[in-house]
Amino acid sequence: MKLAYYPGCSLKGTSFEYEVSLLKILETLNIEVKEIPDWNCCGASAAHSINHNLSVALPARNLAIAENGGYESVLAPCAACSNRLKSADYELKTDDILKKKITDSLEMPYKSEMSINNMLEFLIGVVGKDKIKSKVKKPLSGLKVASYYGCLLVRPPKIMKFDDPENPVTMDELVVLTGAEPVDYSFKTECCGAINSLSKPDVVMALTGNILYDIKKHGADLVVVACPLCHSNLDVRQREIERKYDEKLGLPVLFITELLGLSFGINPKDLAIDGHMVAADRVLKKIEGLPNQQ
Amino acid sequence: MKTVINEQNRRNFAAQVESMLHDKLAKCYQCGKCSAGCPVNFEMDYTPNQIIKMTELGMEDKVLNSKTIWLCVSCNTCSTRCPKGFEVTGIMDVLREIAEKKGIVSKVEKEVQMFHEVFLDNVKSNGRIFELELVGKYKLKTRHLFRDMFLAPKMLEKGKLKMHGEKIADLNQIAKIFKDFE
Repeated sequence: MKLAYYPGCSLKGTSFEYEVSLLKILETLNIEVKEIPDWNCCGASAAHSINHNLSVALPARNLAIAENGGYESVLAPCAACSNRLKSADYELKTDDILKKKITDSLEMPYKSEMSINNMLEFLIGVVGKDKIKSKVKKPLSGLKVASYYGCLLVRPPKIMKFDDPENPVTMDELVVLTGAEPVDYSFKTECCGAINSLSKPDVVMALTGNILYDIKKHGADLVVVACPLCHSNLDVRQREIERKYDEKLGLPVLFITELLGLSFGINPKDLAIDGHMVAADRVLKKIEGLPNQQ
Repeated sequence: MKTVINEQNRRNFAAQVESMLHDKLAKCYQCGKCSAGCPVNFEMDYTPNQIIKMTELGMEDKVLNSKTIWLCVSCNTCSTRCPKGFEVTGIMDVLREIAEKKGIVSKVEKEVQMFHEVFLDNVKSNGRIFELELVGKYKLKTRHLFRDMFLAPKMLEKGKLKMHGEKIADLNQIAKIFKDFE
């Protein structure tokens, strides 16, 4: 099966760790993906917030390039990108008038025949649990991991058609495969504040703070995510949240691809784990079972 | 609150929203489940169920100038939980788009609105987001030059802030998309 890869803007910038670790684990899994040639930004939240047609047309260009290039499946690791690509595909399937306008403008046909996968769908559905399990060389036993899903992977369910919108478990299943222990907590799908990170930082810190303190309360060593925006809010803003609410968190936030990579025995440096704002050293020591662990 | 509603205006506004939304406002029976689960309800001036009823009543000015439409982060919790399957998240998109097309600048939440505008300008000129340029232009526009600046040194050190952006090759097609749909 020809697999197209849509990195999106964040994976080429602030969330470069996500792309580095993804490509690294795909190497181990012996799976080849091809970046969609000359892909453009999906329009993210900005487009759908103020211009519906643009929010369909921008992702449609990427989808049409991939489909006309003979790809059967698209991997969009960024939760926001996968959400926008799936939403555009849904609109193109259900709104014939808009579809005609868009395909005329793009001068490309589009048949909506590809499967569009977020990171978790890809790992469970395309790669498969057995294959992942067969690559685990260094089980992360003793490590407690909280999976944070956020909004865009699971909602709206009628379009995402992925897992349970209130209590998803796919990422927890992947955590189990790595040998780590999944942590149950209440804020799995609560919003981190997403795109308002720059425009409403106080609101974002309140929402993200709720999530992080609940995770902490349930005894997790670290958090895993599958969304660059969630990562940004949970990792980059964590120090500020600690100062604002005057309570230490010290929770490293890893991408699910990094956690899998660690269990495959890949060197943390090659997974770009040192690229996060909250250092993961203490937790990494625990994984490697070094004598000085607490 | 004195609100005189002209029936023709009320119908026009409700019909415009419904046609953009592909959904019926009358579906909502005001149970308030959307507002109870909304993660940003504590900052809003009107709750989501109030916005739906006000739209149905034709209270155009109040709705289009509300903080609520710009505070909504489109997390879709409301639509997911709505017992009637009403497009609660969708109505926020529709109202923002109408406000934007009418040139209404949000008095209180103009920064959220500006962020969306600067973001789309960045897509228009590069085809992709160049984060440093996006943040720079946003800061100039909102004059919040120093907010969040303390994050910059460490982000640079970690390699999170790229100094150069990528432009796509076929910028003409992006220009055409914006010309046809903006």
